[in-house]
Amino acid sequence: MRNALGSPLGRAVAAEWVKLWSVRSTWLCLASAVAATVLGGLTLGAAQATEALREGAAGSRVVVTGPMISATAFAQYAVITLAMLMVTSEYASGSIRSTLQVVPIRGRMLAAKALVTAPVLFTAGIVAGGAGALVTYLVLSVETFGGAAAFPPGQAAADLLRLGVFCALTGVLTVGVSAAVRGSAGALTVMFMLTLGLPLLLVMTGSQAAVDASMRLPTFAGLAFMESADNLTGGPIPYPAGEGLAWLAGWTALALLAGLVVLRRRDA
Amino acid sequence: MIRLDHLTKRYGDRAAVDDLTLELRPGAVTGFLGPNGAGKSTTMRMILGLDAPSSGRALIGGRPYHELEHPLRTVGALLDARAVHPGRSGRAHLLAMARGAGIPKARVARVLELVGLGEAAGKRAGALSLGMSQRLGIAGALLGDPEVLMFDEPVNGLDPDGVRWVRRLMRSLAAEGRTVFVSSHLMSEMQLTADHLVVIGKGRLIADAPLAEVLATPSVLVRSPHAGDLADLLTAQGVSVERRGENELVATGATLERIGDLAHEAGVRLHELSPREASLEQAYQELTATSVEYGAGGTR
Repeated sequence: MRNALGSPLGRAVAAEWVKLWSVRSTWLCLASAVAATVLGGLTLGAAQATEALREGAAGSRVVVTGPMISATAFAQYAVITLAMLMVTSEYASGSIRSTLQVVPIRGRMLAAKALVTAPVLFTAGIVAGGAGALVTYLVLSVETFGGAAAFPPGQAAADLLRLGVFCALTGVLTVGVSAAVRGSAGALTVMFMLTLGLPLLLVMTGSQAAVDASMRLPTFAGLAFMESADNLTGGPIPYPAGEGLAWLAGWTALALLAGLVVLRRRDA
Repeated sequence: MIRLDHLTKRYGDRAAVDDLTLELRPGAVTGFLGPNGAGKSTTMRMILGLDAPSSGRALIGGRPYHELEHPLRTVGALLDARAVHPGRSGRAHLLAMARGAGIPKARVARVLELVGLGEAAGKRAGALSLGMSQRLGIAGALLGDPEVLMFDEPVNGLDPDGVRWVRRLMRSLAAEGRTVFVSSHLMSEMQLTADHLVVIGKGRLIADAPLAEVLATPSVLVRSPHAGDLADLLTAQGVSVERRGENELVATGATLERIGDLAHEAGVRLHELSPREASLEQAYQELTATSVEYGAGGTR
């Protein structure tokens, strides 16, 4: 550990760590991520339970981590905002210049931001999903819902882990996009189009090729990876979880590359 | 310590910095002068590797900035005092820099004390006055105890005490053998602080010389009802004379005493005999007269 912190990359990571936790916006974003997951997940879970009850399917139960995964389609924007601000707030204030004076190798600076974003958002995803699942379980366990909630430990743990990975990758993707775009408004627009605008537009065209393409964009790829059964597409994503992870990781790598190219070409 | 080698920065077909070659020596304060838009800040950014030169190089101890093993412990710089996240405290800003450079945390408290920021270091940077921000920026430059220090307009927003403090700091940093490079538009301030001057205009080097050489030669203002006779007399003695109206002249190349004696011997009555200080302001205006980028009252 001492060795890692003594390396140039380790020092750059340590600097990003201090910067992340010394601004209020980080805490606001994390609180928003938890709130959006809890509220969104609870709403979707309750809807599922109600439907199960109406259909009178005996023994049909809602696995409470499922709705948390569906809720990420919206809750991811708190994660995206946190990761975006790690980059764009530096350009807005001009402090990117002091950052690059300390860490003049731009790829190293970008790597440090990604290395701080990933574990923080991995943890945030697990905490937010766990809190949401717990609340949903408690609420759906009341008599009105006929005890429609299930919390199988093995599956829940796997779901939460994958939720964490999704948040981490989405965050790192955002860091790359933000480094390429620099401004908050631009970065948020690109992220919104990439994660929601574009996939919905493609789905709306109705063409099969367009729908297939939309399923490979980060949000649906992430939902495929998390094996979401009930989401914006109205059903499971039609390809294996591993492929979803590969698409999401591919988009993330592409975004980092774009960020790196711009960082190295443009003046700070 | 710092060497600029045909350093050039172009934006389209406009050269912001044009073929700048010079060397900054340790143990001296080098003042960096030039009108707005002359390329001072761009030059400093290129030295720090923030902007890439279009051609030429900026070397620190023979290496470009990004190849320095310990950049912050080699070069400390204050470019823009306001360039701090407004929601982050000054102390956290410095701590992040220290962590990134492998500098012990105790050094943060030390430089905060050195610049007299103390309590204010815990406040959000956005709530600091410009003067306080300048002190925070200077603390950041001093953090790595570097051999080279660069300051872009460090006295902006400081009160007279702050200005004197910065002047003493620059002098003492140079006295410790460091290379101090400071830009300013305040000529009087440079005259008191700098040992050496680099003057640029429209990105080009206009002067690179010791302060004393750049300063206008001292002269003497003489007022006399017989200014014409006196002018002839002084010219005959090899003193250069510039007539200023009917009763006035400015003499250069002789001491005030000598001019007084000459006038007395010739029986010329004097109404005024006064020294005119060597002024950087004046020298600067003469140097840059032809290259003012954004001169007031220019024809458009």
